Amino acid sequence: MSSWHVEDRDLRRWLAHNTALATSVSIEQHLVSCDGCIDRVGALARQDSALDAEMEHGWERVRDAVELHRPSWLERGLTTVGLPAHEAQLVAAARAFRGPLLVAVLVVLVFAELAGQFGQARGEFFFLLVAPLLPSAAVAFGYDPDLEPALEQELCTPYSPARLVVLRTIAVLTLAIPVAVLLGLVLPGPISFLWLLPAAGFVAADLALSTWISPLRGVAVITGVWSVTVWVTAYHSSTDAALHGAYPSVYLVLVVVSLAVFARRAGHVRGAYPGRSSR
Amino acid sequence: MTSARPSDAELLAAIAERDLRAMRELYDRHAPWLTVRLSRRCADQDVVADAVQDAFLAVWQKPGSFRGQGAVGAWLWGIAIRRLVSRLRGRREVLLGLSESSEQVLGAEDQVLLSVAYGDVGQALTRLSPQARSVVQAVILDGLTTREAARLLGMPQASVKTRLARAKVQLRAVLVEGTR
Repeated sequence: MSSWHVEDRDLRRWLAHNTALATSVSIEQHLVSCDGCIDRVGALARQDSALDAEMEHGWERVRDAVELHRPSWLERGLTTVGLPAHEAQLVAAARAFRGPLLVAVLVVLVFAELAGQFGQARGEFFFLLVAPLLPSAAVAFGYDPDLEPALEQELCTPYSPARLVVLRTIAVLTLAIPVAVLLGLVLPGPISFLWLLPAAGFVAADLALSTWISPLRGVAVITGVWSVTVWVTAYHSSTDAALHGAYPSVYLVLVVVSLAVFARRAGHVRGAYPGRSSR
Repeated sequence: MTSARPSDAELLAAIAERDLRAMRELYDRHAPWLTVRLSRRCADQDVVADAVQDAFLAVWQKPGSFRGQGAVGAWLWGIAIRRLVSRLRGRREVLLGLSESSEQVLGAEDQVLLSVAYGDVGQALTRLSPQARSVVQAVILDGLTTREAARLLGMPQASVKTRLARAKVQLRAVLVEGTR
Protein backbone atom coordinates (compact mmCIF):
# COMPACT_ATOMS: atom_id res chain seq x y z
CA MET A 1 0.00 0.00 0.00
CA SER A 2 2.65 2.52 0.98
CA SER A 3 6.40 2.61 1.28
CA TRP A 4 6.10 3.17 5.01
CA HIS A 5 6.27 0.14 7.30
CA VAL A 6 6.07 -0.31 11.04
CA GLU A 7 9.42 -0.81 12.69
CA ASP A 8 9.98 -3.99 14.69
CA ARG A 9 10.47 -2.02 17.88
CA ASP A 10 7.10 -0.28 17.47
CA LEU A 11 5.36 -3.53 16.59
CA ARG A 12 6.74 -5.09 19.78
CA ARG A 13 5.51 -2.19 21.83
CA TRP A 14 2.11 -2.38 20.16
CA LEU A 15 1.87 -6.09 21.01
CA ALA A 16 2.70 -5.23 24.59
CA HIS A 17 -0.02 -2.52 24.66
CA ASN A 18 2.67 0.03 25.18
CA THR A 19 2.18 2.58 22.43
CA ALA A 20 0.67 6.05 22.50
CA LEU A 21 -2.62 6.79 20.83
CA ALA A 22 -1.42 8.13 17.51
CA THR A 23 1.15 5.36 17.09
CA SER A 24 -1.45 2.66 17.77
CA VAL A 25 -3.80 4.26 15.28
CA SER A 26 -1.10 4.40 12.61
CA ILE A 27 -0.05 0.79 13.20
CA GLU A 28 -3.62 -0.53 13.26
CA GLN A 29 -4.65 1.23 10.07
CA HIS A 30 -1.47 0.05 8.36
CA LEU A 31 -1.74 -3.59 9.49
CA VAL A 32 -5.11 -4.09 7.84
CA SER A 33 -3.62 -4.05 4.37
CA CYS A 34 0.14 -4.73 4.65
CA ASP A 35 1.03 -8.39 4.11
CA GLY A 36 4.63 -7.87 5.18
CA CYS A 37 3.79 -6.24 8.50
CA ILE A 38 0.98 -8.76 9.14
CA ASP A 39 3.53 -11.58 8.74
CA ARG A 40 5.91 -9.81 11.11
CA VAL A 41 3.19 -9.61 13.77
CA GLY A 42 2.72 -13.37 13.30
CA ALA A 43 6.45 -13.97 13.75
CA LEU A 44 6.58 -11.78 16.86
CA ALA A 45 3.50 -13.53 18.28
CA ARG A 46 5.24 -16.89 17.92
CA GLN A 47 8.16 -15.59 19.98
CA ASP A 48 5.77 -14.68 22.78
CA SER A 49 5.04 -18.05 24.39
CA ALA A 50 1.81 -16.94 26.08
CA LEU A 51 0.34 -15.42 22.91
CA ASP A 52 1.61 -18.34 20.83
CA ALA A 53 -0.14 -20.83 23.14
CA GLU A 54 -3.30 -18.76 22.98
CA MET A 55 -3.21 -18.78 19.19
CA GLU A 56 -2.65 -22.52 19.09
CA HIS A 57 -5.53 -23.10 21.52
CA GLY A 58 -7.74 -20.82 19.44
CA TRP A 59 -6.89 -22.72 16.29
CA GLU A 60 -7.76 -26.02 17.92
CA ARG A 61 -11.18 -24.68 18.82
CA VAL A 62 -11.75 -23.31 15.32
CA ARG A 63 -10.63 -26.61 13.80
CA ASP A 64 -12.85 -28.65 16.10
CA ALA A 65 -15.87 -26.53 15.26
CA VAL A 66 -15.11 -26.79 11.56
CA GLU A 67 -14.48 -30.52 11.60
CA LEU A 68 -17.53 -31.23 13.70
CA HIS A 69 -19.46 -30.21 10.69
CA ARG A 70 -19.67 -33.13 8.29
CA PRO A 71 -21.73 -32.42 5.19
CA SER A 72 -25.09 -34.21 5.34
CA TRP A 73 -26.55 -36.14 2.43
CA LEU A 74 -28.79 -33.17 1.71
CA GLU A 75 -25.83 -30.81 1.65
CA ARG A 76 -23.91 -33.08 -0.69
CA GLY A 77 -26.99 -33.30 -2.91
CA LEU A 78 -27.28 -29.51 -3.04
CA THR A 79 -23.60 -29.17 -3.96
CA THR A 80 -24.02 -31.67 -6.79
CA VAL A 81 -26.90 -29.58 -8.13
CA GLY A 82 -24.45 -26.68 -8.32
CA LEU A 83 -24.93 -24.68 -5.12
CA PRO A 84 -21.60 -23.44 -3.62
CA ALA A 85 -20.53 -25.48 -0.59
CA HIS A 86 -21.05 -22.71 1.96
CA GLU A 87 -24.52 -21.92 0.63
CA ALA A 88 -25.46 -25.60 0.65
CA GLN A 89 -24.42 -25.68 4.31
CA LEU A 90 -26.55 -22.61 5.07
CA VAL A 91 -29.60 -24.07 3.39
CA ALA A 92 -29.18 -27.46 5.02
CA ALA A 93 -28.63 -25.86 8.44
CA ALA A 94 -32.36 -25.13 8.61
CA ARG A 95 -34.10 -26.85 11.47
CA ALA A 96 -36.69 -28.24 9.03
CA PHE A 97 -34.06 -30.65 7.77
CA ARG A 98 -33.02 -31.92 11.15
CA GLY A 99 -34.79 -35.22 11.09
CA PRO A 100 -37.66 -34.92 13.58
CA LEU A 101 -39.60 -32.16 11.89
CA LEU A 102 -39.32 -33.69 8.44
CA VAL A 103 -40.37 -37.08 9.79
CA ALA A 104 -43.32 -35.48 11.59
CA VAL A 105 -44.47 -33.78 8.39
CA LEU A 106 -44.22 -37.02 6.44
CA VAL A 107 -46.08 -39.00 9.11
CA VAL A 108 -48.92 -36.48 9.13
CA LEU A 109 -49.03 -36.57 5.33
CA VAL A 110 -49.23 -40.36 5.29
CA PHE A 111 -51.82 -40.32 8.05
CA ALA A 112 -53.90 -37.73 6.21
CA GLU A 113 -53.67 -39.73 2.99
CA LEU A 114 -54.74 -42.95 4.68
CA ALA A 115 -57.60 -41.20 6.42
CA GLY A 116 -58.66 -39.77 3.11
CA GLN A 117 -58.59 -43.17 1.50
CA PHE A 118 -60.39 -45.20 4.13
CA GLY A 119 -62.53 -42.74 6.04
CA GLN A 120 -64.29 -41.42 2.95
CA ALA A 121 -66.05 -38.12 3.58
CA ARG A 122 -64.66 -37.41 7.04
CA GLY A 123 -61.16 -38.59 6.11
CA GLU A 124 -61.24 -36.50 2.97
CA PHE A 125 -62.24 -33.46 4.98
CA PHE A 126 -59.41 -33.97 7.40
CA PHE A 127 -56.94 -34.48 4.59
CA LEU A 128 -58.12 -31.32 2.86
CA LEU A 129 -57.84 -29.37 6.10
CA VAL A 130 -54.28 -30.46 6.92
CA ALA A 131 -52.36 -31.36 3.77
CA PRO A 132 -52.29 -27.95 2.02
CA LEU A 133 -50.94 -26.30 5.20
CA LEU A 134 -47.99 -28.65 5.65
CA PRO A 135 -45.59 -27.30 3.01
CA SER A 136 -45.93 -23.70 4.25
CA ALA A 137 -45.51 -24.86 7.85
CA ALA A 138 -42.35 -26.76 6.90
CA VAL A 139 -41.03 -23.67 5.13
CA ALA A 140 -41.81 -21.43 8.10
CA PHE A 141 -39.99 -23.79 10.49
CA GLY A 142 -37.09 -23.70 8.06
CA TYR A 143 -36.31 -20.04 8.56
CA ASP A 144 -38.24 -18.49 11.39
CA PRO A 145 -35.61 -16.40 13.18
CA ASP A 146 -37.14 -17.11 16.59
CA LEU A 147 -36.77 -20.86 16.10
CA GLU A 148 -33.51 -20.85 14.23
CA PRO A 149 -30.53 -20.02 16.42
CA ALA A 150 -28.23 -20.53 13.44
CA LEU A 151 -29.70 -17.42 11.84
CA GLU A 152 -28.20 -15.20 14.53
CA GLN A 153 -24.75 -16.11 13.37
CA GLU A 154 -25.66 -16.08 9.71
CA LEU A 155 -26.86 -12.52 9.87
CA CYS A 156 -23.57 -11.21 11.22
CA THR A 157 -21.84 -11.21 7.88
CA PRO A 158 -23.50 -9.60 4.91
CA TYR A 159 -25.89 -12.08 3.31
CA SER A 160 -29.33 -11.44 1.93
CA PRO A 161 -31.95 -13.05 4.23
CA ALA A 162 -34.39 -13.02 1.33
CA ARG A 163 -32.03 -15.16 -0.73
CA LEU A 164 -31.59 -17.56 2.16
CA VAL A 165 -35.34 -17.84 2.65
CA VAL A 166 -35.97 -18.53 -1.03
CA LEU A 167 -33.18 -21.13 -1.20
CA ARG A 168 -34.53 -22.91 1.88
CA THR A 169 -38.08 -22.79 0.58
CA ILE A 170 -37.03 -24.40 -2.67
CA ALA A 171 -35.07 -27.04 -0.79
CA VAL A 172 -38.00 -27.87 1.54
CA LEU A 173 -40.39 -28.11 -1.38
CA THR A 174 -38.12 -30.32 -3.48
CA LEU A 175 -38.08 -32.70 -0.53
CA ALA A 176 -41.74 -32.56 0.41
CA ILE A 177 -43.54 -32.32 -2.93
CA PRO A 178 -42.35 -35.59 -4.55
CA VAL A 179 -43.33 -37.53 -1.42
CA ALA A 180 -46.71 -35.83 -1.34
CA VAL A 181 -47.30 -36.53 -5.02
CA LEU A 182 -46.34 -40.18 -4.63
CA LEU A 183 -48.74 -40.50 -1.73
CA GLY A 184 -51.40 -38.71 -3.76
CA LEU A 185 -51.27 -41.54 -6.28
CA VAL A 186 -52.76 -43.80 -3.60
CA LEU A 187 -55.74 -41.52 -3.13
CA PRO A 188 -58.41 -41.89 -5.84
CA GLY A 189 -59.91 -38.88 -7.56
CA PRO A 190 -58.67 -35.37 -8.42
CA ILE A 191 -58.39 -34.30 -4.76
CA SER A 192 -55.03 -36.08 -4.53
CA PHE A 193 -53.41 -33.46 -6.74
CA LEU A 194 -55.73 -30.50 -6.52
CA TRP A 195 -54.64 -29.82 -2.93
CA LEU A 196 -51.21 -28.85 -4.27
CA LEU A 197 -52.77 -25.63 -5.62
CA PRO A 198 -53.77 -24.14 -2.25
CA ALA A 199 -50.51 -25.55 -0.83
CA ALA A 200 -48.51 -23.55 -3.39
CA GLY A 201 -50.65 -20.49 -2.68
CA PHE A 202 -49.98 -20.75 1.05
CA VAL A 203 -46.21 -21.13 0.65
CA ALA A 204 -46.15 -18.01 -1.53
CA ALA A 205 -48.47 -16.15 0.84
CA ASP A 206 -46.25 -17.03 3.80
CA LEU A 207 -43.20 -15.69 1.99
CA ALA A 208 -45.09 -12.46 1.36
CA LEU A 209 -46.38 -12.29 4.96
CA SER A 210 -42.88 -12.85 6.31
CA THR A 211 -41.97 -9.38 5.07
CA TRP A 212 -44.35 -8.02 7.75
CA ILE A 213 -44.59 -10.63 10.51
CA SER A 214 -42.69 -13.76 11.52
CA PRO A 215 -43.20 -16.70 9.14
CA LEU A 216 -44.73 -18.79 11.91
CA ARG A 217 -47.34 -16.13 12.65
CA GLY A 218 -47.96 -15.99 8.92
CA VAL A 219 -48.72 -19.70 8.92
CA ALA A 220 -51.02 -19.24 11.90
CA VAL A 221 -52.98 -16.58 10.01
CA ILE A 222 -53.16 -18.79 6.92
CA THR A 223 -54.28 -21.78 8.99
CA GLY A 224 -57.12 -19.77 10.47
CA VAL A 225 -58.34 -18.50 7.12
CA TRP A 226 -58.03 -21.92 5.50
CA SER A 227 -59.87 -23.75 8.31
CA VAL A 228 -62.80 -21.35 8.07
CA THR A 229 -62.87 -21.72 4.28
CA VAL A 230 -62.86 -25.52 4.40
CA TRP A 231 -65.52 -25.64 7.15
CA VAL A 232 -67.82 -23.18 5.45
CA THR A 233 -67.56 -24.68 1.95
CA ALA A 234 -67.94 -28.23 3.30
CA TYR A 235 -71.00 -27.15 5.26
CA HIS A 236 -72.68 -25.53 2.27
CA SER A 237 -71.82 -28.11 -0.42
CA SER A 238 -69.51 -31.13 -0.79
CA THR A 239 -66.44 -31.96 1.32
CA ASP A 240 -63.91 -30.94 -1.29
CA ALA A 241 -65.81 -27.88 -2.50
CA ALA A 242 -62.81 -25.69 -1.64
CA LEU A 243 -60.96 -27.32 -4.53
CA HIS A 244 -63.59 -26.78 -7.22
CA GLY A 245 -65.42 -24.03 -9.03
CA ALA A 246 -63.71 -20.66 -8.82
CA TYR A 247 -61.38 -21.69 -5.98
CA PRO A 248 -58.44 -23.08 -8.02
CA SER A 249 -58.07 -19.77 -9.86
CA VAL A 250 -58.11 -17.97 -6.50
CA TYR A 251 -55.09 -20.04 -5.40
CA LEU A 252 -53.27 -19.27 -8.65
CA VAL A 253 -53.92 -15.55 -8.18
CA LEU A 254 -52.68 -15.91 -4.58
CA VAL A 255 -49.41 -17.43 -5.83
CA VAL A 256 -48.82 -14.69 -8.40
CA VAL A 257 -49.78 -11.77 -6.14
CA SER A 258 -47.81 -13.12 -3.16
CA LEU A 259 -44.67 -13.70 -5.19
CA ALA A 260 -44.95 -10.19 -6.60
CA VAL A 261 -45.32 -8.76 -3.08
CA PHE A 262 -42.36 -10.81 -1.85
CA ALA A 263 -40.19 -9.70 -4.76
CA ARG A 264 -41.04 -6.04 -4.08
CA ARG A 265 -40.53 -6.24 -0.33
CA ALA A 266 -37.67 -8.76 -0.19
CA GLY A 267 -35.56 -6.26 1.78
CA HIS A 268 -38.07 -6.37 4.65
CA VAL A 269 -37.75 -10.10 5.37
CA ARG A 270 -37.78 -10.45 9.12
CA GLY A 271 -34.38 -11.28 10.46
CA ALA A 272 -32.72 -8.65 8.31
CA TYR A 273 -32.12 -6.63 11.46
CA PRO A 274 -29.54 -8.38 13.67
CA GLY A 275 -30.27 -6.09 16.65
CA ARG A 276 -33.95 -7.03 16.57
CA SER A 277 -33.95 -9.68 19.28
CA SER A 278 -31.57 -7.95 21.67
CA ARG A 279 -34.34 -6.82 24.02
CA MET B 1 7.21 -13.85 2.56
CA THR B 2 8.40 -16.04 -0.28
CA SER B 3 7.09 -15.86 -3.82
CA ALA B 4 5.09 -19.03 -3.18
CA ARG B 5 3.03 -17.27 -0.52
CA PRO B 6 -0.60 -17.55 -1.64
CA SER B 7 -2.59 -14.32 -1.41
CA ASP B 8 -5.42 -13.96 1.09
CA ALA B 9 -7.95 -14.05 -1.75
CA GLU B 10 -6.46 -17.34 -3.00
CA LEU B 11 -6.72 -18.75 0.51
CA LEU B 12 -10.39 -17.74 0.66
CA ALA B 13 -11.03 -19.47 -2.66
CA ALA B 14 -9.43 -22.63 -1.26
CA ILE B 15 -11.50 -22.30 1.93
CA ALA B 16 -14.65 -22.14 -0.18
CA GLU B 17 -13.56 -25.58 -1.45
CA ARG B 18 -13.38 -26.68 2.18
CA ASP B 19 -9.57 -26.74 2.35
CA LEU B 20 -8.62 -26.91 6.03
CA ARG B 21 -4.94 -26.21 5.35
CA ALA B 22 -5.83 -22.92 3.70
CA MET B 23 -7.96 -22.16 6.76
CA ARG B 24 -4.96 -22.82 9.01
CA GLU B 25 -2.79 -20.55 6.91
CA LEU B 26 -5.35 -17.72 7.01
CA TYR B 27 -5.69 -18.16 10.76
CA ASP B 28 -1.93 -18.14 11.38
CA ARG B 29 -1.61 -15.05 9.27
CA HIS B 30 -4.43 -12.95 10.70
CA ALA B 31 -5.41 -14.27 14.13
CA PRO B 32 -2.40 -12.71 15.95
CA TRP B 33 -2.92 -9.11 14.91
CA LEU B 34 -6.71 -9.43 15.18
CA THR B 35 -6.29 -10.73 18.73
CA VAL B 36 -3.90 -7.98 19.73
CA ARG B 37 -6.03 -5.24 18.17
CA LEU B 38 -9.24 -6.57 19.75
CA SER B 39 -7.57 -6.93 23.12
CA ARG B 40 -6.78 -3.23 22.94
CA ARG B 41 -10.55 -2.65 22.85
CA CYS B 42 -11.63 -5.19 25.46
CA ALA B 43 -9.92 -6.22 28.69
CA ASP B 44 -11.59 -9.62 28.91
CA GLN B 45 -9.24 -11.99 27.06
CA ASP B 46 -11.82 -14.79 26.91
CA VAL B 47 -14.26 -12.55 25.08
CA VAL B 48 -11.51 -11.51 22.66
CA ALA B 49 -10.57 -15.15 22.00
CA ASP B 50 -14.22 -16.05 21.42
CA ALA B 51 -14.70 -13.13 19.04
CA VAL B 52 -11.66 -14.14 16.99
CA GLN B 53 -12.88 -17.74 16.77
CA ASP B 54 -16.38 -16.59 15.85
CA ALA B 55 -14.89 -14.50 13.08
CA PHE B 56 -12.92 -17.40 11.62
CA LEU B 57 -15.92 -19.70 11.83
CA ALA B 58 -17.94 -17.10 9.94
CA VAL B 59 -15.18 -17.06 7.33
CA TRP B 60 -15.33 -20.85 7.04
CA GLN B 61 -19.10 -20.75 6.65
CA LYS B 62 -19.19 -17.93 4.13
CA PRO B 63 -15.84 -17.29 2.46
CA GLY B 64 -17.80 -15.97 -0.53
CA SER B 65 -19.05 -12.96 1.41
CA PHE B 66 -15.69 -11.31 0.73
CA ARG B 67 -16.53 -9.39 -2.43
CA GLY B 68 -12.97 -8.85 -3.53
CA GLN B 69 -13.02 -5.15 -2.70
CA GLY B 70 -10.26 -3.83 -0.46
CA ALA B 71 -7.96 -5.87 1.73
CA VAL B 72 -8.98 -9.21 3.23
CA GLY B 73 -7.51 -7.93 6.50
CA ALA B 74 -9.99 -5.04 6.58
CA TRP B 75 -12.86 -7.43 5.89
CA LEU B 76 -11.71 -9.76 8.68
CA TRP B 77 -11.43 -6.84 11.08
CA GLY B 78 -15.00 -5.82 10.20
CA ILE B 79 -16.27 -9.29 11.10
CA ALA B 80 -14.15 -9.63 14.25
CA ILE B 81 -15.05 -6.23 15.77
CA ARG B 82 -18.75 -6.93 15.13
CA ARG B 83 -18.46 -10.31 16.82
CA LEU B 84 -16.82 -8.54 19.75
CA VAL B 85 -19.63 -5.95 19.88
CA SER B 86 -22.30 -8.63 19.88
CA ARG B 87 -20.49 -10.65 22.56
CA LEU B 88 -20.02 -7.66 24.81
CA ARG B 89 -23.58 -6.38 24.61
CA GLY B 90 -22.79 -3.22 26.49
CA ARG B 91 -20.48 -4.67 29.17
CA ARG B 92 -18.80 -1.35 29.71
CA GLU B 93 -16.50 -2.45 32.49
CA VAL B 94 -14.23 -4.36 30.12
CA LEU B 95 -14.06 -1.67 27.48
CA LEU B 96 -10.70 -0.08 26.84
CA GLY B 97 -10.96 3.28 25.16
CA LEU B 98 -8.22 5.14 23.39
CA SER B 99 -8.12 7.25 26.51
CA GLU B 100 -6.06 4.53 28.24
CA SER B 101 -2.93 4.88 26.18
CA SER B 102 -3.49 8.48 25.22
CA GLU B 103 -2.54 9.63 28.69
CA GLN B 104 1.03 8.74 27.85
CA VAL B 105 3.25 11.49 26.59
CA LEU B 106 4.36 11.02 23.01
CA GLY B 107 7.96 9.84 22.81
CA ALA B 108 10.38 11.12 20.23
CA GLU B 109 10.00 7.98 18.13
CA ASP B 110 6.25 8.29 18.21
CA GLN B 111 6.51 11.82 16.96
CA VAL B 112 8.59 10.67 14.00
CA LEU B 113 6.28 7.75 13.27
CA LEU B 114 3.35 10.10 13.35
CA SER B 115 4.76 12.69 11.09
CA VAL B 116 5.48 10.00 8.51
CA ALA B 117 2.16 8.19 8.74
CA TYR B 118 -0.40 10.80 9.62
CA GLY B 119 1.19 14.16 10.02
CA ASP B 120 -1.11 16.60 11.68
CA VAL B 121 -4.06 14.22 11.83
CA GLY B 122 -2.38 12.06 14.46
CA GLN B 123 -1.61 15.13 16.55
CA ALA B 124 -5.15 16.36 16.19
CA LEU B 125 -6.48 13.00 17.43
CA THR B 126 -4.50 13.26 20.62
CA ARG B 127 -6.09 16.63 21.34
CA LEU B 128 -9.66 15.36 21.18
CA SER B 129 -11.59 15.04 24.40
CA PRO B 130 -11.74 11.42 25.69
CA GLN B 131 -15.46 11.18 24.86
CA ALA B 132 -14.97 12.40 21.32
CA ARG B 133 -11.97 10.11 20.91
CA SER B 134 -13.83 6.92 21.82
CA VAL B 135 -16.51 7.74 19.24
CA VAL B 136 -13.98 8.66 16.55
CA GLN B 137 -12.19 5.38 17.22
CA ALA B 138 -15.33 3.26 16.98
CA VAL B 139 -16.91 4.94 13.97
CA ILE B 140 -14.03 6.24 11.86
CA LEU B 141 -11.07 3.99 12.74
CA ASP B 142 -12.81 0.72 13.60
CA GLY B 143 -15.44 1.14 10.91
CA LEU B 144 -18.57 0.55 12.98
CA THR B 145 -21.94 2.10 12.20
CA THR B 146 -23.25 4.62 14.71
CA ARG B 147 -25.72 1.97 15.85
CA GLU B 148 -22.97 -0.60 16.49
CA ALA B 149 -20.77 2.02 18.13
CA ALA B 150 -23.65 2.93 20.43
CA ARG B 151 -23.94 -0.72 21.43
CA LEU B 152 -20.19 -1.10 21.96
CA LEU B 153 -19.89 2.06 24.02
CA GLY B 154 -23.15 1.49 25.89
CA MET B 155 -24.66 4.86 25.04
CA PRO B 156 -27.67 5.98 22.96
CA GLN B 157 -27.17 6.25 19.23
CA ALA B 158 -28.05 9.93 19.37
CA SER B 159 -25.14 10.57 21.74
CA VAL B 160 -22.76 8.87 19.31
CA LYS B 161 -23.94 11.17 16.55
CA THR B 162 -23.67 14.28 18.70
CA ARG B 163 -20.18 13.37 19.87
CA LEU B 164 -19.10 12.56 16.34
CA ALA B 165 -20.32 15.95 15.14
CA ARG B 166 -18.51 17.63 18.02
CA ALA B 167 -15.33 15.67 17.25
CA LYS B 168 -15.47 16.91 13.66
CA VAL B 169 -15.58 20.48 14.88
CA GLN B 170 -12.66 19.83 17.23
CA LEU B 171 -10.59 18.14 14.52
CA ARG B 172 -11.32 20.95 12.14
CA ALA B 173 -10.31 23.49 14.73
CA VAL B 174 -6.95 21.79 15.25
CA LEU B 175 -6.25 20.95 11.62
CA VAL B 176 -7.48 24.06 9.85
CA GLU B 177 -7.65 26.95 12.25
CA GLY B 178 -4.76 25.61 14.33
CA THR B 179 -2.28 25.74 11.45
CA ARG B 180 -3.02 29.30 10.52
